[in-house]
Amino acid sequence: MIKKLLLPFFTVFLLGCSDQTVSIFQNEAEGSFTNFEENLHGTYASTYKPLAPENIVIRNATVFDGNGNKFQNFDVHFSDGKIQAIGLRLVADGAQEIDGTGKFVTPGIIDNHSHMGVYPAPSVRTSSDGNEATNPVTSEVWAEHSVWTQDPQYKLALAGGITTFHVLPGSANLFGGRGVTLKNVSANTVPEMKFPDAPHSLKMACGENPKRVYSSRGPSTRMGNVAGYRNAWIGAENYKEQLERDPNHRDIRNETLAGVLDGEILVHNHCYRADEMATMINIGEEFGYKISTFHHGVEAYKIADLLADEGICAALWADWWGFKHEAYDMTIANIAIVDQARDGTGCAIVHSDDESGIQRLNQEAAKALAAGRRAGFEISEGRAMTWLTKNPAKSLGILEQTGTLDIGKDADVVIWSGNPFSIYTKAEQVYIDGALAFDKATNFMPHTDFDLGVKEWEDK
Amino acid sequence: MKFIKILALIPLLVFSHAEDMYLIKGGITFLPDGSFAKKDILVDEGLIILVEDNIGDVGAENIIDANGKYVTPGLIVFSSLGLLELSSLPETNDTSSNIYNAGFDPSKAYNPFSQAVRLNRAKGVSSTVHVPQASGYFSGLLTYTKINEGYKQKKQGPLGLVTSFGQSYDDSRAANLLFMEDLFNYVRTNKDDNYADMTQFMLGTANDYKFTSRDFKALLKVLNGEIPLVVKVSRATDILNVLKFAESQQIDLILWGAAEAHMVADEIAKADVPVVLDPLDNVPRTFDSLNSTYENAIRLDQAGVKMAFYYSQGAGSHNAYLATQSAGNSVAMGLDYATAMRSITSNLAEIFGLVGVGSLAPGYDADLVVWDDDPLELMTNVENLLVDGMDQDLSNRYEELTERYMKEKELPNSYRSRE
Repeated sequence: MIKKLLLPFFTVFLLGCSDQTVSIFQNEAEGSFTNFEENLHGTYASTYKPLAPENIVIRNATVFDGNGNKFQNFDVHFSDGKIQAIGLRLVADGAQEIDGTGKFVTPGIIDNHSHMGVYPAPSVRTSSDGNEATNPVTSEVWAEHSVWTQDPQYKLALAGGITTFHVLPGSANLFGGRGVTLKNVSANTVPEMKFPDAPHSLKMACGENPKRVYSSRGPSTRMGNVAGYRNAWIGAENYKEQLERDPNHRDIRNETLAGVLDGEILVHNHCYRADEMATMINIGEEFGYKISTFHHGVEAYKIADLLADEGICAALWADWWGFKHEAYDMTIANIAIVDQARDGTGCAIVHSDDESGIQRLNQEAAKALAAGRRAGFEISEGRAMTWLTKNPAKSLGILEQTGTLDIGKDADVVIWSGNPFSIYTKAEQVYIDGALAFDKATNFMPHTDFDLGVKEWEDK
Repeated sequence: MKFIKILALIPLLVFSHAEDMYLIKGGITFLPDGSFAKKDILVDEGLIILVEDNIGDVGAENIIDANGKYVTPGLIVFSSLGLLELSSLPETNDTSSNIYNAGFDPSKAYNPFSQAVRLNRAKGVSSTVHVPQASGYFSGLLTYTKINEGYKQKKQGPLGLVTSFGQSYDDSRAANLLFMEDLFNYVRTNKDDNYADMTQFMLGTANDYKFTSRDFKALLKVLNGEIPLVVKVSRATDILNVLKFAESQQIDLILWGAAEAHMVADEIAKADVPVVLDPLDNVPRTFDSLNSTYENAIRLDQAGVKMAFYYSQGAGSHNAYLATQSAGNSVAMGLDYATAMRSITSNLAEIFGLVGVGSLAPGYDADLVVWDDDPLELMTNVENLLVDGMDQDLSNRYEELTERYMKEKELPNSYRSRE
């Protein structure tokens, strides 16, 4: 009864919205069975509106373009929210000039593994909304429906140059639910933060966490985990068949899974051990889907060639280890080995999974770069910058919009006080879609409602 | 003057073995006064003998060319290194106790062959203050150990008694303060009977309030002024309460964590109480730490508070060596370099009363690091680590794994080298 009442509501809303909403599922196959995906996206679509964009040219800076290049004495011009040009001595009539001498310019940093908003600060039970740990399969839940827009952590990340971040459900479940990609902007509603047209993602988790959380009811072993994934995918296949007979059938758990099978929803898979990652690739082959990115992957270096061959990214820490058994075989060269696999065709990403680490992803990349060079690789700083920009954008399906300083892309830009691979360097200014979002010199940054009344000492 | 020093060396040279002697030549050396200067360092029988502009041929068998490199004291970390291998596996974790609390001393559980110890040596750590984590009201006794190779480590302790104060699920912090007062008064009043019968003494109802005679004796050390009370605390008002408590009990105090210490920096300075903190702790993780800020260390330094830094982010103790990253960031925030470097070396020695470690000066233990660049930078490597005058093996499991998977791909994994 409720279902019947809801359906017209969705339909009406969608019709009203469809003109102004571009489908997020740019690769959507003709005749896709999961037509509700597009509909639901309409309902929950991004309503993000950039702040007023500026017309700025940064002169004579060292520029990492995010494509792997490092240019000396370059100018960067952006206006109308887009990158207009990068090059030597640009003509930019009417643009505000910023002297970039001695400074470095990079694309906005992207963290593709964050729990800001779903595990906000302060960390208390009442806002701990990242794990729907009531069933090993909860592909029906969406992280965006947990996100707290007043989390005081966003601005700390912003001061570290983070312009885009991907919020995932936790790793308690085999299927934790959908992730959401957000612009690092202040807003009172989640859709106002949502990265326009970013694909939805699905969080999956291997190993110790699900088998620990569900040890009494199952799965309680790694083989139990795998049976759980396969059973769920079979359920999704059945759902797709059912949908052919009854196109109005709703099942939000299977809608997410079917979205993966149709290539519309990107799989982000928490997985530490090399052998388990290989198994997850096999499961993808069995059911005909591709994994976008393995997350944490402390053992990714052991199968770096396989990851490169499969075109799967690995989002990794520089040096975290030892907090559990599957995080024992750490090497600080992990990121570099993944990056350099198969003649440098690997896709390595520096991620945080942490409200502290997200503030210094550039430093984490520096440590990983140093370990890579120590291991014998010749890796440039420009290449290491792709771990923070281009590669996470690719992993999230937003590379057409951001992640590099290519002409026409979103003007997500960071001006650094010096080389971002130095510990003494700070982000001085951060622009999101060409609008100033953070300015260290003037202490300009967003403050959430939660911040009000805190830090009275700041004025004393 | 220098001539006299060299002369004074001569008897020593006669009796020592050249193979125990190290001469570290020409390194940019971090000196006790906080400056860097190009120096030679002579080491013999585990001690620093000389730190001079130019030390000639004194017959040292081991010469380390440190020209263009940096030399600092070995890092002293505040960690659980060697007490746990995998923190989520209780059977590999010896940091905690349910039997004892105040009297819990985990130092005998130390495993010098822990992979975490090897990694931290490779990254410039020469010793650690061991942090206990017993589950009761008190976490146990702080101790100190070198982390050199082999079975034998020089140790010091106990150095302090650890507890925490602030937010709690089961009782008001005001009640906890009353409990501390009652407990300390009880220990003081009954010290003459040596707590002989106190094998299972309960104050209150919960297991947290269970004490044995061993625990009472540890508390007595605090009351007698033998060791300080080390209090993990965040909120500014709690810090004031703890300062007042220590003053009224006439005990020595060290603050740990202290996210909101910057708000009461002058009071902390006035009480001459040192603070152990991570300058990177700027996330308001609890309602007790809403005023967390990157500027904590800066403001404490301006008020004249003595600080030690440790790394509390990410993988924690296993990466305790990243105290360099905490210190480096504090410099980026505006702290002067010498204070930052001292906060990960000599300040730990001073704060915890460690004897003969933490500085590059004659008479000190020869715990030192040769770095290929600025020690606080992210891409700097350790070239040599001396602990008690012995050059340490810097091999570690992370580089062994790297080697195994990079260099010998033609062999199946398990046939690849174990070195």
